[in-house]
Order: sequence, then C-alpha cells, then structure tokens
Amino acid sequence: MFKLNLKIALRNLWKNGGITSINVGGLAIALAAFILVMMYVTYETTFDKGNPNYDNIYIVGRTMPEFKTNYTPPPLGKAIKQNFPEVMAVGTLKKGGFEFAISSDANTAFASNYLMVDYEAAKMLQLLPNEELAKPANEEGILFFLAKESMMTLFPKKKDDKPELVTLGSKAAGQTAEVKGTISVNKHSNVTFDALSVRKELGKNENYGYNNYNTYIQVKSGTDIAALEQKINTLYKNELIKDGQDVSTDRYKQTTIFLDPLKNQHLKPMAGNNAAYKVLIALSVLAMLILLIACINFTNLSIAQATKRAKEVGVKKVLGVYRYQLTFQFLTEILMQCVVATILGLLIAELLMPKFNALFNVSLSIWSANNALLYQLPLILLAITFIAGIYPAMVLSGFKPSLVLKGNFQTSRNTYWLRNSLLIVQFSVAVIFITSLLIISTQLKYMRTQDVGFNANQVVYIKNIMMFSDPRVFEPVRQKIMRIPGIKSVTVATGIPDGSENGSNGYTVNGVEASIDFLDVDFDYFETLDIKLADGRFFNKAFKTDTANSAIINESAAAKYGLTDPIGKTIRGCSMDYKIVGVVKDFKAQGFETPVQPTLYSIKNPCGNAKTQLMLKIDQDQMSEAIATLKAQWPDINKMDGDNFRYYFLNDLYGKLFQKQEQLQSVFFAAALLTIFIATLGLFAFAKYMTNNRMKEIAVRKVLGASDVQILKLLNSSFFAMVIIANCISWPLAYVLTKKWLETFAYRIDIPVLPFLISAAVTILLTVLTVSIQAAKAVKANPVNALKYE
Amino acid sequence: MIALKDIEKYYASKGVKSYILRHVSTVINQGEFVSIMGPSGAGKSTLLNIIGMLEEPTYGEYKFMDEDVISLSERKRIELYRNHIGFVFQAYHLIDEMTVAENIEAPLLYKKVGGSERKSRVADMLDRFNMVGKKDLFPSQLSGGQQQLVGIARALAAQPSIILADEPTGNLQSAQALQIMELFKKLNKEDGITIIQVTHSEVNAAYGSRILHLLDGVIKEDVRL
Repeated sequence: MFKLNLKIALRNLWKNGGITSINVGGLAIALAAFILVMMYVTYETTFDKGNPNYDNIYIVGRTMPEFKTNYTPPPLGKAIKQNFPEVMAVGTLKKGGFEFAISSDANTAFASNYLMVDYEAAKMLQLLPNEELAKPANEEGILFFLAKESMMTLFPKKKDDKPELVTLGSKAAGQTAEVKGTISVNKHSNVTFDALSVRKELGKNENYGYNNYNTYIQVKSGTDIAALEQKINTLYKNELIKDGQDVSTDRYKQTTIFLDPLKNQHLKPMAGNNAAYKVLIALSVLAMLILLIACINFTNLSIAQATKRAKEVGVKKVLGVYRYQLTFQFLTEILMQCVVATILGLLIAELLMPKFNALFNVSLSIWSANNALLYQLPLILLAITFIAGIYPAMVLSGFKPSLVLKGNFQTSRNTYWLRNSLLIVQFSVAVIFITSLLIISTQLKYMRTQDVGFNANQVVYIKNIMMFSDPRVFEPVRQKIMRIPGIKSVTVATGIPDGSENGSNGYTVNGVEASIDFLDVDFDYFETLDIKLADGRFFNKAFKTDTANSAIINESAAAKYGLTDPIGKTIRGCSMDYKIVGVVKDFKAQGFETPVQPTLYSIKNPCGNAKTQLMLKIDQDQMSEAIATLKAQWPDINKMDGDNFRYYFLNDLYGKLFQKQEQLQSVFFAAALLTIFIATLGLFAFAKYMTNNRMKEIAVRKVLGASDVQILKLLNSSFFAMVIIANCISWPLAYVLTKKWLETFAYRIDIPVLPFLISAAVTILLTVLTVSIQAAKAVKANPVNALKYE
Repeated sequence: MIALKDIEKYYASKGVKSYILRHVSTVINQGEFVSIMGPSGAGKSTLLNIIGMLEEPTYGEYKFMDEDVISLSERKRIELYRNHIGFVFQAYHLIDEMTVAENIEAPLLYKKVGGSERKSRVADMLDRFNMVGKKDLFPSQLSGGQQQLVGIARALAAQPSIILADEPTGNLQSAQALQIMELFKKLNKEDGITIIQVTHSEVNAAYGSRILHLLDGVIKEDVRL
C-alpha cells in the first residue's frame, strides 16, 4: 500500500510540477536562510564550549560607579586562591596593548594581540601549545609561543619543534627572545592572541592599584556563586585596606566585585554591552519568521491543491480506508517535499556560505565534523513537516465522500478568515522589511554624503610605535618626509579620526569646570585633515608659545563652557594653564553614533599618551610614487621603528565605522527580498485557490453579462483590501522600529515618508499582478466547462 | 439484508423543514436486483447514500445484515465498506493518478489481501472484462464505457455482497449502457450479488427484479418484476 501511495504522490507532484517546484523552492530558500542563521547562532553561542570546565569558569570583574570592568589587580586572584577552597584554580591574564614586530634573520611578523598569562590560566583556558606545556621552572622563566601563521612567516622551512631565537621590536633596539614553539589559536574562544607568553606567576610585584589584569577563576561544581561573589567582595575591600590604598573615597565605597560566567563573555558580558546578543536574537526571530511564512505558504499551496485530491479521498474512503491512513499518506507526501526542500536548502546555504561568512566575518562550514546541524536538521525537518503538513492533511482527509463524489465539489469557505489573516501577516512582515530597508539605506546614504567636517581622502596613516611627543623630535622626521614629492603635509597625534575615543579630563574656564575630551596633536594636524577654522588660528610654528601652552578647542567645547569669545581665554587642566588660540568647527571623528565631544587640542599635554600616529596628506596624482618613495626611505626617516613600513588610507579606516550599518543593510535587503518572494508565492497560491473556488461564480457572472474587466476587479478587490490592511498594520510598527534604530545615531535623518509609500506601491503592484495572472485564466475560461455538471 | 424503517431526511432552514425522504421503510433481501426510480429531486441518490452509509438519516432505523448502522463507529463502517459494499458512480470516480490495474488493486490493498492473491484477482478481473491490454493505461486514456467497466471491476475485486450504483450508465451512450446492464444482470444471477441501482431509464430498470418508485421522498410503488 505504501508503494502505491508513493507512486500516486510522485505522479501527483509530477503532474503539478509548477506548483510543486514553487512549493519546494520557496521552502528551500527559507530553509537555506534558516540553516545559515542557525549555524551562526550555534557558533556564536558556543564560544569556549570545548573547555571541559565551561560551566565552572568565571571572570572576576568590578562594578564601579560609572561602569563595569573586567580589569582587576593581580594580587586579588592570589588572595581568592588562598582564602576560598571552593575556587579550584585562579588564572591571571594581561594584554600586550600595542603591536610589535617579531623578526627572524630573514622575515618579520607582527604581534598585534600579545597575551601574557600565568601557568594556571593557560591550563584553565586551554591555551595549550602543540606539545605538552611544561610549568615554567623558576620565577623568571618565560615561555614564549607564536601562532602557527606567524611562525611560518618567520621560519618558512621550520619542521622541528626546537625553540628559535627572534628579535622583538625594532632590530636596532636588539631585544631578543626565545620562541618556545607554536601554539594553535582557537578562534572560537573568548581568549585569542597571536603571541603568548606563559609565566609561573604574573604581576608579581604589583599591588591593588594595577587594575589592568584579567582574573579567571574555576570553581567546584555546585558552588553558590552569589555567596562566593559576596565573600570575594568582602575580601577585596579588606585587602585594599591592607594594601594601603585610599579607601575613603566614594569611588572605593561604591566599587563591588562581580563574577561573570565564561559562557556569557562572548555575547552578554557584564562589562560591556549585549548588542551582539540582541542582534543574534533579532536574527533568530527573523529567520524563524521567514521559515514560518514559508511553512504557511506551503500549507496554503497544499490546500489550494486540495480540490484536485478530493475525489481520491472520497473514493478511498468508500473503498475502506481509515481517516488516519489518509492523514498519514498526505503527511508522508509533504515530508517527501520537505526532504527535497531541505536538501535544496542545504545546497543553497552552501552556495551562500562564502557571502554570509564575509558579511558576518566568520568562517562557518556545513561540511565540518561534529556539526550541530547533524541533529538539528532532522528535528527541523520534522517540525516543518508537522507545521506545514498537519492542517492540509487534516482538511484533505476530512472530506466527506458523499459530498466530493457528487461531482461538483467546492471546498468550504470557512477557513478563509484564517488564510486571509495569514496572508495579511505575510504582507505585514514584507512591508516592515521593505520600509526598514529603505530607511536604513537613506540613513547610510546620508552618512556617506554628509559633510563630516574633515577630509579623509588622500590622507595616509602610517603605523608606528616610535614616540614623537616632543615637536622638536618630530621636526626632522617631518622635514625628511616633506622632501618627498607629492606630500602636502605631515602630522603626528595621539589618535586618528577613525572612531577611536579620545582621553577625557576635567578642564576649567572662567571657574566653570567640565570634563571634556583632549587630543594631543602636532603642527599641521588640522591642515592635513582639512578641518575648518571657526575663529582664531591653527597652530603655527611662528608662535613659540604653541608648543608650550596654546590650545585649540572645538565649537562644542566653546558651547559647553558658554564662551562667546573664547580666543585669548585661559583653560586650566592637567596642572597647566592653556591659552585658547583658535576654535575649530566640529568634525565627526567618532562617526555618526555619538555626538561630537567637546574637545581640547594641544601640542603639549603632560597627561596625554605618546604621540605615535602619523598622518600624511598626499597629492592624489602622485600617491603611488610618494608611497613607494616613503617605503624605500622609511628606515632612514624613522630610525627607531623604520624596519617595517605599514600604511592605511584614512578613508578606509573611517569607512569601517559604517560596517555595522552596511551589515544590517545587507541583512535587511536579504530579508526583504526573501519575504517579498515568499509572500508573493503565498499570494499566488491563494489567488489560484480563490479563483478555482469561484470558477462557477465567475461562469455564472459571465453568462449574466459581466465584462472581463469587471471580473478582474472583482477578484482583485479582496486581495487589494488585504494588502491595504497589511500596510496599515505595518506602517506604525516600521515607524517605531526604525525610529528606535535611528535614535542610536547622534546624527540622523528625519524619518522620510517615501519609504512607506514605496513599500505600499510595491506590495500593491505585486498583488494586482499576481492575482490578475491567475484571474486571467478564469476570465478566459469558457463558462460552459464550469457549469457542465449543473 | 437491508432493513429500513421510517427513514426520514430533512434539512432545517429558518425553522422550515425541507424533506428529502419521508417515512421510507423497506426490506431488501440477499440476491435482489433493485432499481430506485423517480423524477429529479425525488430523493433517489439520498436514499442510496443512506443505504451506502455515506449520509446519515435525520431519523429512522437502518439495519445492515442485522446490524444497527446508525450507531456504528467509523471503524465498523469502514469494515463494512471493505468486506461487503462495492460502489459504482455515475462519474466513474477512478483515481486519475492510478493505472487501470492499480485502480482495481486498490480496494484489495486496503482489505490487506496478500500479494499473490491480489495479483491473481486483478488478472482475473482484467481477463473477465477484456482489458488485459489496457491494464497500464490511465483513466483519462479510456472511453467512458471502459472507465465504467474499470469502476465495476474495482467494485467487484473486493468480492462484495452488495453493489450500490448511482446512475451507473448516466454518462454513457446507450450501447455501452446496455453492456453494463447485461453485466449487472449476470453478476446478480451467477454470483448472487445484491445490486441496488438508481436509474432514470425504464430500460435499465427492466434488468432488475424489483423497482422502488420514489416521489417527493416517499415510496409510491414497490414493483416486483
């Protein structure tokens, strides 16, 4: 019997090839999207899951009055280990902070993410080199490991595991180190690095003031974390007193300790934001919506086909088939289609994988071993078969033989409201996606075309770790660079306008104190970036005082202090009295999300970091020659850090600020396209169903003298109404959603009306087109055929 | 075999009952060949549907082989379909996606007849109806008369004790109709199968052993030939 049913099913699917392929194709596309998102979600939620103590590892962090941080002083970890037996291991880590060169005799690699750990941290977090990790023999012993890629760059011919000697930093400085071996870096971990050093103890002589370490603890299973947190908190406060720290301040009183599980570190760390987590949830909801819509479609299309199968049901019933057998038969048919859809979906997902990986900056693969898909896919398959199949199977198997065998069978109208509302839901989702996509695009266009207040074009940023804080040290470097043809200006600063944050400090003008940003620059900073002057002057070598106590502020700073005529005023901060010599127009160095911060620019700043960031304005026509010359002359120009000339274009770096939005735009583009496609499929099926059901009515109307146009109008009207309702539902939703999104920008567009109108136009047009194609068949049909059985 | 007592069927709409059948009582014995006749709207098809358990009477008593059908569970009813009742329809109602042989085989599958037995019965039917050459054709490739022969072959394959036929020749030309009627008569005489048919044609009715005349839902005449 199963064989015969299978045969019938195949013949049926074959006969209705068009509908079948739409049905399976739509589901396959939605499944592909779902598979991709699910793989991404699985990847994102399983960081460090391979660690055998995954559930028992916590990071120790501090809650400060203004923020939470994972930075803790190294003695805290030791105190925890000594005092609490439930803590099995304590690991301490410290980040390197800056990029440095590692050179062998022949080659150079760069360590931009250098990590220092103690032995226990390496063990706990599974930072294990390829061979056995030996415990450093003595207190001073350092085991230095490199990621495989760097090792291959440095020693391309290396085959053995023997240690190698390398030079760290500039060759001229001549600091050597022994590389113990290679270590494979787990990219699927919260702790990543490209160079690692393991010590017996980290931060040995540092006290509770050195809050620049990370402390991880591993607890015994079943430990009461809340209680432990309290105990560590008390311990921390007592230790601070013992350590002689100033504990009288509010800052101390309000600081508390928290424990944050390792499994939350990647997506929703306490110290940090949970934006990634929200994005992940949004993505999952999106994917589920798309899959659900595809399932709804599947259901609708199957029911649209129902009249064709009604006779079969009736006959089989009078031949003695139970209803459950029929239900099972139809479910099997749908399962078969779902299997095909799943296989197709996997293929589509595989095809889209490179694009998806590029968009989300991951390297997922369907064909990897221990893939969670192995058990997820069969479950999804069963779920969609059930969701998509149960309703049509029940409807089909429920037909009454006495009705269907009379010859002129029409399915009942009582499920219309259900399918009407499903269709409205589909279109509402489509409208939301289209509108949001258009608004996102408008905001992105605004960000790309809006004047940001400075010009990043033709500005080249050169990587450097040599400190040029003193203008007198930098001057000879500048002169050497300026000799190269095509170079228009050169400057050095503590930061570049690529979205990075500046330091902030309290400054006083006219007795008004405020915390504002500061940035240390050199001559030609504003000229290089083409920043506009509002009042006064830029820094100029002609004024001796500029290197001593001159300052330039931006308009926001002037506004913050309420200065109408700032030139010549004194601004006090960092134990210095600056004289304001100029006011520059605000420029969006931090992108569009944060408002321009009130900022003070100065050449001298005792509180600032070292100026290392070089920026050059180069004439576009001579760009390539100038860069080639720079590269050739760099060791001579920058003697202390000239081994390696590395440069970036500033507009590329600034453009990265838009990456997140561009990613969102791509996601919404895909989602909008998908939902429109799937919703149109659903509409197609529904229109077909409706038209089939109304064949007799249409025939009668034609016999009574209705014109073709009148019938087209008649068939379109209900769909037209549904699309209008869908638009009315989604407009406010889309408005609220996009408004919320736009509010994350300090500089944003007003919500335009056009996207709403466009999405209405698109959906209405699609509806009328799809329905009319179906209706045209009914209009053209000879009424005699439909009325034959009467 | 079939005992109907005071069968009534009506549709109530806005408090007005419109009767299809009224006080229908009759007994049909094993081996009879009954024709139900009457003008359009007399309730012929409804009566046949009730006998075939496709519709339920609003009121009344119906015993099929001494079993009360009204209170029968779906499972029991389907057992009756499988073992005792064969249906023949005016519009043939063959399953379009099945070949001739598969259509004939279908009821045997549901009856859980063994594979070799099934094959021999299907072969036997094809042979009996002269359709061996057409066994792999689909219904749409056959003429109306041929389709109806397949329909009857399908009904017979399950070896029912009664055949219910709703205007079996209604869509056929007269020559084909005659052939079908001859076949019914033969089945009734030689195999002892009870046949109940609804028909408009006096000629067709003459093949049977008894005629029930229906008018406005009431049996007006019960003629034994």
